[in-house]
Amino acid sequence: MKRRWIAGAIGVLAVALAACAPGGGASDQGDKSGADKVTISLWSWRVEDVKAYEKILAKFEESHPKIHVEFKPFQATEYNNILATGLSGSAGPDVAQLRAYGGLQPLVEADQLLPLDDKVDALSGFDAKLLEGAKGHTDGKIYGVPFAYQTLQVLYNKKLFSDNGIQPPATWDDMIAAAKKLKAAGITPFAVAAGPDATWTLPIVHEIFGNARYGSTAFRDALVKGEKKFTDPDFTASIKLIKDLEPYFPKDVVAVKIPDVQALFVTGKAAMYPTGTFDLAPVLKADPNLEVGLFQVPPPSGSPVTTPVTPGWADGSFGVNAKSAHQAEALELVKWMATPEFGQLYATELKQLSAVPGVTPSDPLLAEMAKNYADNGAPYTLLVNFRYGQPNGDAVFRDEVQKMLTGQTDPEAVAASVQKGVEQWFKPGN
Amino acid sequence: MVQARELTVPRRRAVRTGTGRRYVPRWRVLAVFLLPAFLLYSAFIVYPLVSALDYSFFEWRGIRQMGFAGLDNYRDLLSVYPYDQQLWRAFAHNALFFVGTMLIQNTVGLLFALLLFRYGRGKRFLQAAFTTPYLVDPLVVGYLWSLLLNPTFGPINSLLEAVGLDSWALPWLGDTRTALPIVILVNAWQWVGFPMLMFSAALAGIPAEYHEAARVDGASAWQSFRRVTLPLLTPAIGVVSVLTFIGNFNAFGLVYAMAGSTGSPAGSTDVLGLLFYRVAFVEGGVEAIGRSSALAVLMFVFIFGVSLLATSYFRRRERRLV
Repeated sequence: MKRRWIAGAIGVLAVALAACAPGGGASDQGDKSGADKVTISLWSWRVEDVKAYEKILAKFEESHPKIHVEFKPFQATEYNNILATGLSGSAGPDVAQLRAYGGLQPLVEADQLLPLDDKVDALSGFDAKLLEGAKGHTDGKIYGVPFAYQTLQVLYNKKLFSDNGIQPPATWDDMIAAAKKLKAAGITPFAVAAGPDATWTLPIVHEIFGNARYGSTAFRDALVKGEKKFTDPDFTASIKLIKDLEPYFPKDVVAVKIPDVQALFVTGKAAMYPTGTFDLAPVLKADPNLEVGLFQVPPPSGSPVTTPVTPGWADGSFGVNAKSAHQAEALELVKWMATPEFGQLYATELKQLSAVPGVTPSDPLLAEMAKNYADNGAPYTLLVNFRYGQPNGDAVFRDEVQKMLTGQTDPEAVAASVQKGVEQWFKPGN
Repeated sequence: MVQARELTVPRRRAVRTGTGRRYVPRWRVLAVFLLPAFLLYSAFIVYPLVSALDYSFFEWRGIRQMGFAGLDNYRDLLSVYPYDQQLWRAFAHNALFFVGTMLIQNTVGLLFALLLFRYGRGKRFLQAAFTTPYLVDPLVVGYLWSLLLNPTFGPINSLLEAVGLDSWALPWLGDTRTALPIVILVNAWQWVGFPMLMFSAALAGIPAEYHEAARVDGASAWQSFRRVTLPLLTPAIGVVSVLTFIGNFNAFGLVYAMAGSTGSPAGSTDVLGLLFYRVAFVEGGVEAIGRSSALAVLMFVFIFGVSLLATSYFRRRERRLV
């Protein structure tokens, strides 16, 4: 009696253990089938891109027949924790998609990634602005090959512009005049949301309209060196621009959500949509026939930078697990990810701006964004430099700007709060 | 066979207690029955709580645990801007949430219970109807109500405008003065069935003779409610109050769905649950684990402490009834 019970328990346990083993069986078989083929794993937060990555990685395997890459995507919201846990144990990935800037820092501080400076030569040809996103904050080493970047600009509805006799503005005053005209015609000039799901877009709106006003890269560098503060009159003036533009946003903007403004823009009820590259595909998906143009905001008078800029940032990079058992093969993969072959495939398959130098997107709007960034690229300061501690810069900024839009605070106080929040952890000089 | 032997043992060692014959089994037998529950409870409740306490006393860089930090994480939470302000603001909103829920949800719940008790018609149907919103997750409820209240496309404001109440068509969730009350109302809409069921059960347990005796003594309907019904509802009021307190101070899903992680607009609906979510997951600085664990511990200690005090207070009130 007793023995049978024990045997049963062992049987149950064995089945449970087999079910828990994370796909070990499958990859072992893969190893055996191709003689001395090595299987490496690639972790990503892009569940929606599985098909595209399969196509892209098939090309890699064509030129590297000894390596098989297993693409393993995880839910984006859970990815950071899964990756941090994976990298600290033995069941982690060989190559991983990495967040940029402050999001990369916890992994760097835990020594979980392999520095790539002298291992991937092609990195020296990358845009220095984009490499910033893949660098350790304190040691300055490069931990990943940047894969994509985002740019910020104003999308506009070409038909609404021509119907109302408006051209893409050449000056700030032109833009305000156009907004007035559109508002008088019953059209929302700017599709801006500041509701519960949209506070993160407020720093983006600020960058689009105010980057040149606060002084762009030069101001950012001075901030980082500690020569200037957020309370600088130029930065305060850049915040005030949002307040000045509020009459041209949708009514009750703090109650308006992102899907609302997307709908306003797509259905031709709003004429201009200040947003990032990431919104181009959703907008065109909602109405493929929508004629969309884009422009960079012309700086208002008094701006330290007098030509329009395109703020942007690196989306992330691909790095190598410091504990990888197949480091040589993992390096082969990230080296290939720095080639134009990968960049072109990435841009074509995923309709994103590839970070690899010399890759031009086939889509004319994306190509225009890429050109603008190459010519007039500027940092999204709060994201690029002020996400290395708590509270991070844009978290304080978005809360305070929303407060300003409800009339509870003013631009000076917003700037003072950002400075106060950030200086608790930020040490100038890096 | 084994069981039979075990059963005979306690009989021999039975202890006679003061009032009746009670057999107290040996501790080993008790342990066997308690063990499964104890293990599950330890693994899924005690262990996470203790580990949060443990984490909160260390410095963290990402997921790397650094040296012992003493109370530094707690001090940071109370002194680092903007958490120093957000913590008290969130706490005050939780307190308002609780007061508002007690006043609206639980009072209306009691009223419904009384009406159903007195006029039994359609009781089953109404009880089911009032408790249907239980079946929907708070996240979904919040999402549906934020669609209804949408200032651009929402039917509520369209309706108000259609009947000529244009000045009432406010951006309900976008105005710092109305957002929190709206969240409290929607929460009450979802949970009003809970106090109603609790009070219905308690009302059914009050012997009819008490009310008859009160009527014979010439008590009015109000006096009968105030002097007879209400005191006898004390146990139910205690349970409802404590559970409301725990639920409101742990509020998250509904507020998150209606006001986002920042407690929109301008933090006017920010509660402790959202603050925890932001510190732990959204802002994701390298200090996140230590500080969010410290906040979790503070919340637990406060909720646990107040619940204990409230329970013992209501116990004392109950004893006075007997």
